[in-house]
Order: sequence, then C-alpha cells, then structure tokens
Amino acid sequence: MSSQEIVFVVLGIVGLGAAVRLVTARNVVHAALYLVVSLAMVGGTYLVLAAEFVAFVQVLIYVGAIVVLLLFSLMLTRAPIGREALDNQQRGISALVALGILAGLAFLIQDAFRDARIEPDATPTGAVGVSIFQNFVLPFELVSVLLLAALIGAVVLARKDLP
Amino acid sequence: MLSDYLPIVLLAGVVAVFAVASLAVSSMLRPSRPTPAKLMPYECGIVPERDPRGERFPVKFYVVAMLFIVFDIETIFLFPWALTFRELGLFGLIEMAVFIGLVFVAYAYVRMKGGLDWNVRGLREGPSPVAEPPPVDRRREVAGAR
Amino acid sequence: MIAQISPPELDFLPVAPELVLAGGGMAIMLAEAALPRVTSRVLLIASLLIVAGAAGITVALWGWDGEPTVLAGMVATDRFAVLIRGVLLAVAAIGAVYGHHQFDRAGERRPEFFPLLLFATTGMTLIAAASDLILTFLALEILSLSLYVLAGFSRRVTASEASMKYFLLGAFSSAFFLYGVALAYGATGTTSIGGIARALSGPSEGLPLAMVAAALLAVGFSFKVAAVPFHMWTPDVYQGAPTAVVGFMSAATKVAAFAALIRVFNVAFLPLSWDWTPIVGVLAAVTMVVGSLLAIAQTDVKRMLAYSSIAHAGFILTGVMAANQEGIASATFYLVAYALMIVGAFGVVLLVSGDERTSLSSYAGLAVRSPLLAALLSLFLLSLAGIPPTAGFMAKVSVFRAAVDAGHTWVVIVAVLASVVAAFFYLRVIVLVYMKEPEEELQPDRSPLPALTVAVPAVATLVLGVFPGLVFGLLETASIFRW
Repeated sequence: MSSQEIVFVVLGIVGLGAAVRLVTARNVVHAALYLVVSLAMVGGTYLVLAAEFVAFVQVLIYVGAIVVLLLFSLMLTRAPIGREALDNQQRGISALVALGILAGLAFLIQDAFRDARIEPDATPTGAVGVSIFQNFVLPFELVSVLLLAALIGAVVLARKDLP
Repeated sequence: MLSDYLPIVLLAGVVAVFAVASLAVSSMLRPSRPTPAKLMPYECGIVPERDPRGERFPVKFYVVAMLFIVFDIETIFLFPWALTFRELGLFGLIEMAVFIGLVFVAYAYVRMKGGLDWNVRGLREGPSPVAEPPPVDRRREVAGAR
Repeated sequence: MIAQISPPELDFLPVAPELVLAGGGMAIMLAEAALPRVTSRVLLIASLLIVAGAAGITVALWGWDGEPTVLAGMVATDRFAVLIRGVLLAVAAIGAVYGHHQFDRAGERRPEFFPLLLFATTGMTLIAAASDLILTFLALEILSLSLYVLAGFSRRVTASEASMKYFLLGAFSSAFFLYGVALAYGATGTTSIGGIARALSGPSEGLPLAMVAAALLAVGFSFKVAAVPFHMWTPDVYQGAPTAVVGFMSAATKVAAFAALIRVFNVAFLPLSWDWTPIVGVLAAVTMVVGSLLAIAQTDVKRMLAYSSIAHAGFILTGVMAANQEGIASATFYLVAYALMIVGAFGVVLLVSGDERTSLSSYAGLAVRSPLLAALLSLFLLSLAGIPPTAGFMAKVSVFRAAVDAGHTWVVIVAVLASVVAAFFYLRVIVLVYMKEPEEELQPDRSPLPALTVAVPAVATLVLGVFPGLVFGLLETASIFRW
C-alpha cells in the first residue's frame, strides 16, 4: 500500500464511523458534531485525490458554514436538545435502501472503471481559477443571483408574520 | 504533494494528544467531591432561573447566519481569483467586481430591510406584526443595542 | 512577467433577456427596500416593464444567426430556447398580475413577491437555453429556491407546510440531479450537453455509467415536472401555496423543466435513445393513469388541478419519448397549450375563491353568480380535457400522432384511455358550475384587471385550438436543436 492508500483508509474509517454515529446519535447536537468529523474526512479524501481547492471548499463551506447554520437552526427552533428519540421507526427500511444504493453505485463504478488507474496529479488552484473565470463566466455570476434569491428568502422567512 | 500537509497533520495530532492528556491527567489528579451547588450551570454566581435548553434564539440570528454563508461563498471564489489575478488581467478584475457588487447588493438589501437592526422592531413591514413585547422589555433591549 | 490570458470571446446578447430579468429583479428588490412606501401597483408596473423588455429582446433573438452556442458553450441560441422563453415570459407577466391582485385584495404587503418572481423567471428562461449541465443545475436551483419561498407567501399554516414539503423534496431531487451530472461527467469527461452527445455517439466505455446518469437526471427532472412516482409534493403544494403563485409555478415550472428535459434527452442522450424511450414510456403511462385516476377522488379544486397537471406531465412525456423532431415539436406545442390553460384555470380559481376556500362544492352554481367566470372556467377545463376546438385537443392529437409515428402505439392507447377518465372529472366540474343552485357564500371577485388577464390565455387557447398552424409554423424551426 502506498502512503496515499494508507491515508485514504484511515480517513475512510474515521469518516464512516462518524457517519454511523451521526445517524445513531440520540442527541441532535452530538449528531451535528459528528457531521463535522464526517465532512472533514471527506475533505481529507479530496486532498488525497490532489484536489486541493475542493478540499478547501469542503472545509470552509461545509465544515465552517453549513454546520454552523445547522447549529443555529437548532437554537432557533425549539428542537429538543438532549437525549430524545430522533427515530421515526423506519431504521430497518432506510438501512436497507442505503445499503442497496451503496451496492448499486459500487458495482456501477467498479464496472465502469474496472482496473483503470488514475494517478492523481495535483490540480493547482490557479488552474481552477482560470477555468472558472474563462469558461464558466456565466455560471459564476449566476451564483450571486442564487445567493440573492436565498437571502430574500431568509429575510421573508425571518419576518415576524407568523404567530 | 501529500507530504506538504504533514505539518498540519502533526499539529492536529499534537492538539488532540494535548487535549485528551490534560483532561485525563487532571481527572486523575484532582479530588472529586461533587455538591449540588458545584453541579449547577455557572451564571456569575446567581442561581439559574430557567432551563436554557427550552429557550429559543431570536430569529434575527438566522439572517446573520445566512449573510455569513453568502460571504463565505464569496470568499471561496476569491482564492482562485487571487492566484490567477495577473494572468486574468482586467477582464478577471471586472468579473470579480461584478460578482462582489452583486453580493454587496444582498448586504445592502438586508441592511435596508432592517435585518441587522438590533432593536425590537427588527425586520420592518411584516404584513401583520405580532403583539409588541411589553414596554419594560423594549427599553432594556434598545438600551442594550445602542 | 506573467503571460496574460486573453479574455474569452463573450457574446452576452443571447442571454440579454436573463440579464434584464435578473438586473430588473435586483433593482426592484433594492427600490422596494429603500422606499418602504412604494405601492404594490408601482412594483407591478415595473415588473411588467422588465418582463416586456426581456420579451422584446427574446423576439429579436428569433433571427439570431451567429454561433449555435455562446459564452464558452454554455448557452444555446436556437429557436427552441427563444420560443420557450416567450411562453415563460408571458406566464410570468400573468403571474405578476395575479400576485399583485391576490396580496392587494387580502391586504397583505408582500413586496418581495416581484423580485422573487423575476428571479424565478430568470432561472426558468435560462434553463430552457442552458447547453451545459452545470448551467442547467444552477438555473434549476435559482428557480426552485425562489419558488420555495413564494410557495410560503401566506399567513396560513398550510402555505408554510407547502413551502417546507416543496423545499425538502426539491432539495432531495436536486441531489439526484447533481449526482446525475457527476456520473455524466464521469462517463464522458464533459458536462456540455453537445459534448456528451459527441462522446456517447462514438464507441464508448462508460455506457452503463451514462445510462445511470440519464436515469438520475430523469429522476431530478421528474420531480420538477411532477411525473409519477415523483409527484407526491404536487397536490399538497398546489393546495397550500397562494393561488397566484400556484398559477405561475404550475405553468412556468413545468414548461421550464420540460424544456431542459427535452434538450438533455434529445441532444445529450440521443445516442442512447433506444435505451431510454421504453423507460420514459412507462413513466408517461403510469403518470397519465395515476394522475387521472386520483383526480377523480378530489374534493378540492386546487388538488384536482394538481392531479390534472400530473396527468398532463404524462401526456407531454408521450411526445418526448418519440425522440425525434416530430416528438419535440408536438411536446413543445403541448407545453404552450398546457401553460395557457393551466395559468388560466388557476386565474379563475383565484377570482372565484380569493379567500383560499377552494372546495369543489363551493363552485356549484357559479354560472348564476358570474356567467363570465363560469364560461372561462369551462373553456379551460374543456381544453385540459382535450375536447375540440381548444388548444388542449390539438396538443393531444399532435403528441399522440408523434408517438404512433415513432412506433409507441401502446403508450397512445393508455393515453387515450387516461384522457377518457380525465374527461369525466373535468366535465363533472362543468356540470356542477352550470346545473346546481349557488350557495350563499359564493361571491366571485369582479375586479377588471385579473379578469382581463385571464381572458388572454382564454383567447389564446381558442385561437390555438382553431388555428394551430400559428404555432406549428414556428415549431418547424424551433424544434431543431443547434449545438
């Protein structure tokens, strides 16, 4: 095993463990914190794949912002923070569906790429920049329109108009 | 490539070991004599009045959190832009200026809508403002904000 | 000294309608925040001017003879995009009037309605022209996000419930779509719709991967167009959301999502059409049957129209599965006709049940109270049922012909049976409107502006039913994709 594979296995085990704890945790705040670990490990996997920029995005946006928003919304609502049952009695079915999807995707990707080996050669963040700012001009500017719409939504929702 | 991140991994390891070790060592060394007073949440020495778990944060924090996300995403795009700033030249500058301008529109909108006003009225122009809080409460909050 | 990269060739003219819409939306948003006293009427007029401006540019783009795609292959300039944009802008203008009327009459101040409507329209018109899956996804998100908020624009709790359901299931479907984009990239190494078609027409390795990508994209689109079994959200959202918003989104979302679906499947995945047509056929058949059968059991007019809109998704898919130019043309004609009749039908609902009491029994005897509204409602329902001489009839005939010509007779047989079932519940409402005594509470709204607005799709429904050649003429060139 190369050093990359060792790192990948470690990240995978930690991330998977955190993900399992995330869905089985009885305290919703603990679940959010397990989500941090799980997302950070995915970010680490991106690093192993030599996708530095994507890894930074993962850490800054997901670990940094999304989880913070998640914790905020736990505090905004009167969500039960504590040892509460978060289950809806459908553990069995959802586990089955999840495993089915995992098996299907694993088979599919194994079938599509077989033993093709891709040497991860580092994509410098600058190359990503050139691609975004040369080829994806319109999508890039549209992101801001999307953000605007989201923000109007937030203002509308935060207005005191519900009893 | 990956070895560039070795210092970060080492630092993370040191932090983890330090945190776990200091907790473990202190729990081994300290005497453990709990009393009800010691187990209470610490609120500057006052006896806590309410259970904080049932409290709800004002919804204004939500707008702040959304603004945070919006600017976070803007920042992410600044990294690749900054690295290729010279190659992209004027065109890249204009592109980024437009993008930041549009995100700034979002900020201006929230600002004008009163989303960042930390007084009682908060976001104005709600179709049906709910009953105002009692006056005593209002004076205290306004005084705190200004 | 670092070598400068020359700026890419950028031709923004083909996206000028979207720039006008998004820029106008932002201007209205800022103006409304800066001037708290501005009335809804002023905002409505401003919005209509912006939509008209975008429509003017759209018409000018019909004669575009430049590159087939611009902005580094992101945006298609074909006439299909232009035609769909025109339909969407018309629906947006009607929706703006509806929204102004509903909130004004209820005494609610909802100035955010207009910028959100314009942003949603930006996303919709853009998705019709997007020739890269990244742009398709972004446009899909812009329109969905705006609609999630619009669906909750009411003080009633059911509106919040509608918004929440729509958001959760919509986010779920976006994830499917995104996974489809990722797998399509994995299979072909590009996200460009034309590029995928090129990669798939050669001998290719990742064929199963591309098939699964197509399936996941189909799931994402099926949520948006409300095809069975991804239709669960539709009745609840249509019933809970404000009628004005439902009128806009039922017509515009379906047109936009179908436009993108038609482009993705008839360009990018056309090389795989032997594989996907049977699946789309099953989807179409199930959608028509389930939508029509469940509509019979409804006692609420908005829920009934929701199931009817589900059934119509099935009929449009029948045209899509032909996977040739005739199929594209017939599905596009169906989209135009469907948008007209559903936006009109919800307009009548808005006028009859302005207070959101929409049970079917409250429509009894509408002909006595308001003969005009009763006539309009009957016209739209007859068109939805597909009875001549309405646009709905011509639309059904053309998709059936396209499907039979392509050799999918079994789907057409199912479709005809579903149409017969569907005719039953439309006619039941018409009987209710004309043959029953009115209830006391039935007080239809007699405001002139929305009534005039509803008359526009009514006239168009009749004109297209009698002279379908008006649009078929346009469709000859509008059903050819250039990439």
